[in-house]
Amino acid sequence: MIIRWICDRCNKKWIYPVEKCVYCKGEITKQKGSKLKVVGITKVSIQSPMHPIIPYNIILLQDEFGNRMPKKTMKDYKLGDNYIQEKAKTEDAVSIAKVKYDVYEAIKETLGLLKFELSPNDKVLVKPSIIAAAYPYQAVNTDPEFFDALLKVLFELGVKKEDVVVAEQALIGSDVNDAAAKAGILEVCKKNGVNFFDISKGPFEEIESEGFSFKIFKEALNRKVINAPIMKTNFQLGFSGALENLARFADEKTQREMYYVGFDKIIAKLAKVIPNVFTIADATKAMQGQGPLASGEPAFLNLVLAGKNFAAVDAIFCEVTLLEIPPYIDAYGKCLDSKHIEVVGNEVDALKYSILPAVPHDTPHPDIKVIDGKSCPACLNLLYNLTSKLIGLRGEELNLIIGSMLTEDMLKGKERLVALGGCAIKKLQSMKFEPMAEIEENIDQFEQLVLLKKLLITQGRPKITPIDKVKSKMTKLLSKVIR
Amino acid sequence: MIFVKGVGMTRFGTQEDASYHMAYESVMEALNDADMTMNEIDAVFVSSIEVTSNGERQKHSASMLSSLFQKKMPILALPAGCAGGGTALWTAVKLQRSSNYDNVLAVAFDKIVANISKKVTDEILMGGERIYEQTEGLNFPAQNALVAQQYMMKHGATTDDFALVAYKNHKNAYFNPKARFYHKKVSLEEIKSSPVVASPLRLFDCSISCNGSAALIISKEKGSVEIAGSGESNDYLGPFEREDMTSLEATRMAAANAYKEAGICPEDIDIAEVHDAFTPLEII
Repeated sequence: MIIRWICDRCNKKWIYPVEKCVYCKGEITKQKGSKLKVVGITKVSIQSPMHPIIPYNIILLQDEFGNRMPKKTMKDYKLGDNYIQEKAKTEDAVSIAKVKYDVYEAIKETLGLLKFELSPNDKVLVKPSIIAAAYPYQAVNTDPEFFDALLKVLFELGVKKEDVVVAEQALIGSDVNDAAAKAGILEVCKKNGVNFFDISKGPFEEIESEGFSFKIFKEALNRKVINAPIMKTNFQLGFSGALENLARFADEKTQREMYYVGFDKIIAKLAKVIPNVFTIADATKAMQGQGPLASGEPAFLNLVLAGKNFAAVDAIFCEVTLLEIPPYIDAYGKCLDSKHIEVVGNEVDALKYSILPAVPHDTPHPDIKVIDGKSCPACLNLLYNLTSKLIGLRGEELNLIIGSMLTEDMLKGKERLVALGGCAIKKLQSMKFEPMAEIEENIDQFEQLVLLKKLLITQGRPKITPIDKVKSKMTKLLSKVIR
Repeated sequence: MIFVKGVGMTRFGTQEDASYHMAYESVMEALNDADMTMNEIDAVFVSSIEVTSNGERQKHSASMLSSLFQKKMPILALPAGCAGGGTALWTAVKLQRSSNYDNVLAVAFDKIVANISKKVTDEILMGGERIYEQTEGLNFPAQNALVAQQYMMKHGATTDDFALVAYKNHKNAYFNPKARFYHKKVSLEEIKSSPVVASPLRLFDCSISCNGSAALIISKEKGSVEIAGSGESNDYLGPFEREDMTSLEATRMAAANAYKEAGICPEDIDIAEVHDAFTPLEII
């Protein structure tokens, strides 16, 4: 499809979605050309970072209105050929659209190529990714513009506003309402007249799946779930997107257990108990580098991906961005080989573009490294919050140990080891390993920060003193007064 | 009336000189040619695409020139890609006509060749339209290949015609001590058999990237060369959105304005020096 914005009065035409004509101030109408013909072809043999695979073809397409656009393809076309976007033939197909200044049209395009239907009687739960308070430009949470367009598309497909709820919970330790407000999602919900629910408040239903017991947000079991994650690199998991987003349908205890037992295995079991999920993923502004929190940076990909098989959506995104497909996605079992997933809308090879992967042992602080024993989101969040607050304060390198999946090999040769959180502390005790210090997750955050600061800048084995505790109380009181 | 008082130019090639030094060199040559010093310059127009891949990380080229010339005066930056020098000069002429400035300097510089080829390609690709061109891999050779193909279909031009343009330009470069191809012979056969970069364009249909600078001082004081007319125009960013991809509407308009201002017509012209980075565009 080729889109142009045209002035109703004077017929001036734009590739940009302008609101009014700059000449006659007339209203603007969207012109959508769908009968596309190939009117030009070039085979390109020069590589660039955005286009690493050569040679590739660029075809010049022209629609029934005479509008043109270039399109990159690995296929060979002839002048005069019709350009037709094939619809998906398989259940597990993934559809990819490029956003051409109009994210709403891109979402519609992805859905139009798949078997996706909603009826006026459907009750829908839309689940964005909102894990922490961050501005939209930081690409930590699902983008509000994408989310607004998604709701618009759902309403147009016939779902009643009163039958749509938006639900999410932030990483354990963060407040989802604060996060959703900063992310701009609450405003979108308000604008569209839909309710926003904090999943952590429940109610939950206990469900057993393949020997594991989950407490799952009840609404997710009774409604059609539209899974709307933002696609991000993740220093702990490698990548987090569609499948990982479903983990936050579980209550806090289940989430902690999932990581304790092994996220790789359990997430697949959890995903199987949510009966009706369809993913429409936000890769308009994805995240690269040290995700999933604000240490990552935006990757301006301008893509929307959709599919019924969320693991397939994740796998294809990894394929496009040249990230390794994490084991937890493979463990879901429905997309063992991404080469065999049907992709419609755009060709994977024509999209391939390398984004920065996450580095497993880095934290926001240059002198604090992490040894991750697959910690749960609570400790992950704590790690990020503590280390980012000490940026600017240099010290001797510290190794923070989080999570419980620890082995002696992981600790071998490492010095100045500090256990952070109950899981790591317990595990190290069971291994009869004494770290330099322990930071409990349930003590006051000010005290945690003071202790970590002391550990960073001193040589001995500092502890929290009674004076620190008084200071902590005073700081808390002061912040309450200020609020 | 506006006259050219002095011109200066570095050689164009792969030299490692910093941007400031290339600008210094061309301006110094122009000052010497005009028999002037920086004291007599009233304003400067500078054009550069402010390349980032060359490691200099120097935006704000106008203030950089203020440091270089040790002078506080109006210095305006006008980045305009391949049309940078022309745009700086056109603006200088317009300003001088409507102001009491006696001498105005127009200078352009770019240090593009300072990184691996794919980084340079990417840097130049940023001059293309970001959503329809950059994401579709439509770098400048590819963009002009599509234009050339449309022209070939419409007017029956052939790749041999494009090769003749490259051949003529390389013959000129052979005699120009400031050209990258100075004293380097390129045969028509070499041009025709060079590798395809973006079909139908071959390597020699695409100008090679160079580092360099040029400067020109215009004055109200009578000199031997008068600027009788100048024109400037722009066209839409992507050729695909232009009504006719095989016509350079902006060039026509700019030329028409220059002729009108000079009070002459094309028949009065004895010699033309035209620029584009791709051979088919010279024909168009």
